[in-house]
Amino acid sequence: MDPLWSNIFRRKLEEDSLAYFLSHLVIFAELSPNELRLIEGLAHKRNYRAHETVFEEGEPGTGMYMIRSGSVTIYAKDAQGQEYELTRLAAGDFFGETTLTAPAPRGATARTNEPTELIGLFRADLLSLVATKPEVASNILLGLTRVVSERLQAASLEIRRLHHQLGQLNTTGKIET
Amino acid sequence: MTLPGQILRGWTRGQVALAFLVLSAAIACGLSIYSSASSLIGLGRAAFSVLFLPLLLSLVLTFLLDPLVSKLEKLFSRSGSIFLVYLLTLGLLIQSILWLTPHWQEFWQNLGTDFPRYIARLTEFTKDLMAALHSRFPLIEGYDLPLKVRLWGEQLMATILAETPKSAMKVGGLLILVPLFTFFFLRDGRRILRACVSLAPNRQFEMVHDLSYLVSRQLSQFIRGRILEAIIVGLVVAAGLSLTDIRYAPMLGIFAGVTNLIPYIGPIIGMVPGILIAFADLGVGGQFWWIVILYILIAQVLVDNFILIPILISRVANLHPLLVFFAIIIGGKLYGVIGMIIGVPIVSTIKIAILEIRTYRRTFSLPESAMEGDRPA
Repeated sequence: MDPLWSNIFRRKLEEDSLAYFLSHLVIFAELSPNELRLIEGLAHKRNYRAHETVFEEGEPGTGMYMIRSGSVTIYAKDAQGQEYELTRLAAGDFFGETTLTAPAPRGATARTNEPTELIGLFRADLLSLVATKPEVASNILLGLTRVVSERLQAASLEIRRLHHQLGQLNTTGKIET
Repeated sequence: MTLPGQILRGWTRGQVALAFLVLSAAIACGLSIYSSASSLIGLGRAAFSVLFLPLLLSLVLTFLLDPLVSKLEKLFSRSGSIFLVYLLTLGLLIQSILWLTPHWQEFWQNLGTDFPRYIARLTEFTKDLMAALHSRFPLIEGYDLPLKVRLWGEQLMATILAETPKSAMKVGGLLILVPLFTFFFLRDGRRILRACVSLAPNRQFEMVHDLSYLVSRQLSQFIRGRILEAIIVGLVVAAGLSLTDIRYAPMLGIFAGVTNLIPYIGPIIGMVPGILIAFADLGVGGQFWWIVILYILIAQVLVDNFILIPILISRVANLHPLLVFFAIIIGGKLYGVIGMIIGVPIVSTIKIAILEIRTYRRTFSLPESAMEGDRPA
């Protein structure tokens, strides 16, 4: 919709409201202000202390977390069970979105670095939205699919690159050792 | 050293006295808090017992109406759809009251005259039975079964007559409270559940949230299934009975429907008055056997067991017969006849909750031993 018209007919989202925060996330980019207010009622605000575990690898995962303030580090485990840092996420990032539609064990551990406010959106919320407001739910699912497929593409490119490197290492590396 | 024990070594006499005083004061405080707490619990229980039935009925009604409200919610706001559903329900209720009122008065007048007749018929029957038994087993001559049956029947009649005005008062209160509670449960039920779930600590929050969703979905299916089953069985019995000359066919249908909520025992209790009335009014004949067949074969075996239960109710909620008896006996002890009806569904809901949690843990292979197994200590 034309921003001019949406300004006239719709209440503007207040800057410190949760809906305003959500409107800046890729997943919710397709949603109108009214729909964002609906999500506001569905999402869960959770406050974490510093160095608190959000979830651990292998735990049942049923939804995604968005960072409103603070920061979160994602850890994975190596073969010896030793944790190593995968990435650091800051305000405006989100994680765990792959379990939103298909529940699966968490593939990594998430832990906060400082006092952090997380916004959780879970499968149960999405399913109840599908029953009552299907068009809003489909907009969220579209955004989610876009994010997931972008990551999938990036991952398959990365796999291809690594395959290539491995092939090179196999031909050239054998001579060295 | 004169002081006993390792801990007290090095304490002065004054300190020991102080410790003794503090400890005894603490124990006294604890006792007084405990006694006042038990009276508080008593107060709480008294307050809750008034709310128990309306809360329960409105929860059941909420589960029953929620799918309809959710369907309408696609078109209207939540409150608007609830109002619409209420208007529909009210219309149906007024229709059925208009239809029932003349029958009800007639029923009540007839019952006053008919009931003693049924009891007399039953006493006569037992007398014949006893005479037949006496000729075969002379030992039991001293046992006066007909008298017992008559006394029991008179007592039952007296209870019904005395309890009806009282229960009418209760029903009047329920008619105001239940729609009110149901409205708020329908409108804010999710918010209330959310608020409860959000009390969970961060680490458990996600699991609690998902489980609450899964369990409430299973529960609403179960409750909806049971109520629909009861309504259909009641309708089948009422329709089948109205084909014969038996009186009170609608009432007997309602009774059979309500008692059908109790598994195993309910259907048997439900058919007793119908068969008794048929026996007293129509005698043993073609119609009597049709009524027996209707109750047992058509309503129970055919409609309930072969059609309704497989469609409406998942076998997951099946309870062991022993557990059913426990639930009925304990429910009856706690809340009387209503307790007997709701005891089994409550135990079933607990079972459903436990089963859901178990499947959830299995889906994610959560058992602690497995989690610990792949992690070096």
